[in-house]
Amino acid sequence: MMTLHILNKSPEHPRFRLCLEAVGDADQLLLIENAVLALSVEGIKLPGRIMALASDLDARGVSVDGSVDAIHYDGMVALAAAADRVISW
Amino acid sequence: MSVLIIIDQAPYGNWSGREALDMALSLAAFDQPVSLLFVGAGINWLRKQQNPAPIQQKGVNRNLAGATVFGIEELLADQDALQRYGLGAEDLLDGVAITHYDQDLLANYLHVVCQ
Repeated sequence: MMTLHILNKSPEHPRFRLCLEAVGDADQLLLIENAVLALSVEGIKLPGRIMALASDLDARGVSVDGSVDAIHYDGMVALAAAADRVISW
Repeated sequence: MSVLIIIDQAPYGNWSGREALDMALSLAAFDQPVSLLFVGAGINWLRKQQNPAPIQQKGVNRNLAGATVFGIEELLADQDALQRYGLGAEDLLDGVAITHYDQDLLANYLHVVCQ
């Protein structure tokens, strides 16, 4: 079962770690809202291919390199549609 | 359509946990299989000894005591949280199952809500 985990908490929020622990090998993690701030924090290891919502990155002035997929809302909808289960943390 | 509701915030400090419990009781009222998992500070919901009268609140332990009667399938307590807060099975409400929060546990539920 493929789960899309949508995380909007900043790295300090206790649920940030709770979410990371839940992400399985077959799952996907999408960072939105405050969670995108994690991309500017040294030493946070995010599981799998990193995806983040472009508008939230721009809003917060977080610049990313090629290792991050900056997607838009249509991409987010496509991800959710393709997942067997979606969990919003 | 099994549902797991995760409570990770301490009782009494804010209302989110009570909303999660209301959600669980509503689901149960409509015969949806729902369980509650307490992790992190949320583990403190399960203490047997609670007396919030001095802060003018109703004991969440009393709400939970009736949970299985109202159709909530399981009250689950995360081991690490128990350890962190120095709680043992004897400190908890009756009928609480001690488990471990991980991917395998979550895989049992189609819907997971973290409140």
